[in-house]
Amino acid sequence: MLSLADLQRGMTAALLGADAEVVRMAVAPDGLDPRARLGIYRHHVRTSLTAVLKDAYPVVCRLVDDRFFGYAADAYIRDEPPTEPRLFAYGGGFADFLAGFPPCHGLPYLPDVARLEWALHTASHAPAVRAPDGPALAGALETLIRDERTRIVFAVDPSVRYLVSPHPVDRIWRANQPDADPEASVVLDGESVHLEVRRARDQAGFRSLPLGEWTLRARLAGGRSLEDAAAEALSADGELNLAGALGALFNEGLLVDFTLTPIREETRPC
Amino acid sequence: MCGLSRGTPARAGIGLRAPHVDEILVTRPGLGWLEVHAENYMDGGPALAMLEALRQDYPLSLHGVGLSLGSAEGLNLEHLARLHALADRLAPCLVSEHLAWSLSGGVYLNHLLPLPWTDETLVVVSDNVRRAQDRLGRRLLVENPSSYLRFLVSPIPEGEFMAELTRRTGCGVLCDVNNLVVSAANVGLEPLAYLNALPADAVGEIHLAGHAENDADGVTVLIDDHGSRVRPAVWDLYEAALARFGSVPTLIEWDTDLPPLAVLQEEAAAAERRLEPSRGAGHHALAG
Repeated sequence: MLSLADLQRGMTAALLGADAEVVRMAVAPDGLDPRARLGIYRHHVRTSLTAVLKDAYPVVCRLVDDRFFGYAADAYIRDEPPTEPRLFAYGGGFADFLAGFPPCHGLPYLPDVARLEWALHTASHAPAVRAPDGPALAGALETLIRDERTRIVFAVDPSVRYLVSPHPVDRIWRANQPDADPEASVVLDGESVHLEVRRARDQAGFRSLPLGEWTLRARLAGGRSLEDAAAEALSADGELNLAGALGALFNEGLLVDFTLTPIREETRPC
Repeated sequence: MCGLSRGTPARAGIGLRAPHVDEILVTRPGLGWLEVHAENYMDGGPALAMLEALRQDYPLSLHGVGLSLGSAEGLNLEHLARLHALADRLAPCLVSEHLAWSLSGGVYLNHLLPLPWTDETLVVVSDNVRRAQDRLGRRLLVENPSSYLRFLVSPIPEGEFMAELTRRTGCGVLCDVNNLVVSAANVGLEPLAYLNALPADAVGEIHLAGHAENDADGVTVLIDDHGSRVRPAVWDLYEAALARFGSVPTLIEWDTDLPPLAVLQEEAAAAERRLEPSRGAGHHALAG
């Protein structure tokens, strides 16, 4: 007789597609082949997880059609099944999976469309934060002495994500919304896009940003100090109006808090 | 505020689903209570804020689907901590989970998978229920599963297994009447014997839902899809359950092909009509 742990390991393999004879032997036929009985569970696992992926990736599904999406989802679920029960967190690896999935190689933009959809999906599920008190934050920053100002690391709205793609994924996404003009086409012109994804009024959306602003925001959101992020932004776009770009961060309520990086050892006073 | 403890008149509630939320927020219909799937609110996002608004007007029940009480490898403690945090935040009247497993070897299968009813399983599930109740600091209601197979080595009748689980852990029972009908058709479970096996005062909630009839290689299999109105056989067994357990908070569940909210309200009203005469009634064994 199988231990419960062995039975569950075997059944897990069977539900992900393996032929688990040892589990079949443990199932009472009751007038129906144990394969068919296990198949009922397998069907539910597959269809419910495919629905979870379809919910997170509706544009990818539209681009490849339902049937192909089901085929790709099936392979992904076998390769990377969920590891925990919060299903809104399942599917983050789908873009990388599609990038390595040979049948998708004719659609080089598909993984980046998936990355945009995942950013929108996770933005919509990001923790809600109270709207930041801009004047209070600016006041606190003003109290810092000059040395401290170089060590500022901002905490940004947790729903914000930054993406860059060599493909016009923003236009592809818009052209594949239910209300889009079905006759519209997207020219794959090879121009890269720099996108900011954010939730506003319970709805996740995105917009394209100039390279300098995008770099400043992306680096700050990535936890870089203000000094480093500003230097990188200016290096990406020498024309960037840094004061204006920083002011916009406050006006848009993007910055919710700040901390100071520790003083580096070599610069600490004796 | 919470009218769901034993001895309090029980009402019919509905499972809250996202497409109905706006209508409920605006119209505030007269529903006895609401039940939500705990995992959908574990992100701290806007849906949780909405739920906090709704729980001002409706008693709330938290129904977990991912704790995997039947896992031989034990509970996922991170997930238990998330459930605990959510229960602390929402202060629900009831917290329930399933007599099933879905987690093995770090893989979560998104299904309430079947268990063999053995002494070993009883030890595993009892340990997991105790650990969950200790962490949550409250009694858990455990729901009977819908089954599509039974294991050859499964010597304890499911109803007796559930009854023993309540004795060992002090947990309560969420008696899903639709699941009893589904399991009766699929694996030969005997519903009336099941109801009689349960300690009546442990039953803290009843679930009602629709099921589908599928053909599998010429054999009819009932699928617990929560996609239609409650079937007559389920209403009949519900009346038997009320005769046995007295008045118990009752939930209408609907998950696939979700109809307008009014249909769920009609189903809840149909449950209320049956609940009314059983209020104040004692517990009785059933003939059958």
